[in-house]
Amino acid sequence: MKKLIASALVLMVSAGTVAAQDNPIKSRQALMDAAAGAAGIAVPMLKGEMEYNPAVAKAAIATFYGVATAGQAFFPEGSAGDSKAAPKIWEDPEGFKAAFAKFQSAAEAAFQASGKEGPADLKAFQAAVGPVLQNCGSCHETYRLE
Amino acid sequence: MRRILYAGVALAVIAGAVAWFLSAPRPLDESVLAGLQPADATRGERVFWAGGCVSCHARPGAEGDAQLELAGGLGLGSPFGTFVAPNISPHPTDGIGSWSELDFVNAMMRGLAPDGSHLYPAFPYASYARMTPQDVVDLFAFIKTLPPVEGKAGESDIPFPFSIRRAVGFWKLLYLSDEPVVAFGDGTDPAVRRGQYLVEGPGHCGECHTARTALGGLEYSQWLAGAPSLEGRGRIPNITPSQDGIGSWSASDIAYYLESGFTPDFDSAGGEMAKVVRNMARLPSEDREAIAAYLKAIPPKP
Repeated sequence: MKKLIASALVLMVSAGTVAAQDNPIKSRQALMDAAAGAAGIAVPMLKGEMEYNPAVAKAAIATFYGVATAGQAFFPEGSAGDSKAAPKIWEDPEGFKAAFAKFQSAAEAAFQASGKEGPADLKAFQAAVGPVLQNCGSCHETYRLE
Repeated sequence: MRRILYAGVALAVIAGAVAWFLSAPRPLDESVLAGLQPADATRGERVFWAGGCVSCHARPGAEGDAQLELAGGLGLGSPFGTFVAPNISPHPTDGIGSWSELDFVNAMMRGLAPDGSHLYPAFPYASYARMTPQDVVDLFAFIKTLPPVEGKAGESDIPFPFSIRRAVGFWKLLYLSDEPVVAFGDGTDPAVRRGQYLVEGPGHCGECHTARTALGGLEYSQWLAGAPSLEGRGRIPNITPSQDGIGSWSASDIAYYLESGFTPDFDSAGGEMAKVVRNMARLPSEDREAIAAYLKAIPPKP
């Protein structure tokens, strides 16, 4: 249990220490690391490998919500650099914006469904976070290289 | 002087005849179909997703059921030119609707068009050569249930000398084989065997995850040890059970990755691999587990 709460705290801290906007690659990578950390507690709970805890579930959802809401700001034109960001992000800015909007609205809905205490049980958590997790692969397919 | 000239001409004629003979298409005959069960589209659908046909043959960007319209059109960049995936929907003239079962088997397992000309190995028949004829005819039966799509896909852009199709015959002498890549002994776990079949045959994983020779054949000594991306930036990862590969992943990590796209670090697959995961997710879980068992059993490479 302590481990769970500690990992949730780490998540929130990592989401909070995003670097300044003058280093967009580092900033967005830190945000994506935060999302990966959130998936790293959401998925094991969904698979029954980790005990379900509503507060921890809410922390994961809140992290997705933060990443989804802030993330798009860190892909300015010309910031591909040495990252895995696909050229398609800037070739099709409308499509990219739509993909982020889909992620954002799923995460926002999940956050609202979480309430004060977090999703009551695993089933509620699955219903809330499932549509959020689908965005990882669908967005990466087009907008990330590997 | 004249004698030397005659000898030279004779040599050139002989060399030409040998080259013509060596590069000749070698189709399978009807006997390959003998003894097969009647083709079954349900079994064929499983082969279809294992092969990931839609990744290249669906319209670029198609999702959901629209993926089942095999209109072609995706361009595959390579050092030899840009290959455009053709329409393989069952349309009688623009697709493969008028092909015979044997035509389809020869395309898949020998890289030959129905007129006997060589297909380019951008279509990964060097992997499909390891498939069972039963799986190939089942796959054909499934493709025939899909909607026919009108219209040819665009033309490939292959500069000289690679534009000489006949030369693909030499490539096949070097690289087309139905032998398994990894030699496993007797008593190997059936799951590993099934995984071997899926990875080395229909799944054609080695086509991207193995480095290529200057002639574009797979470097089998570096099987699944990763390769430069054929298109643009990035590197296709090493998926052997080594430190540089995925040695730290458990079999269930690999199977879950193929189902969900999530690595053990909860990164999520992108690019071409995201499409592969979508296809793999359609397989029964025992097939993903078999692939995982195989990837744990192959020789580790740095």
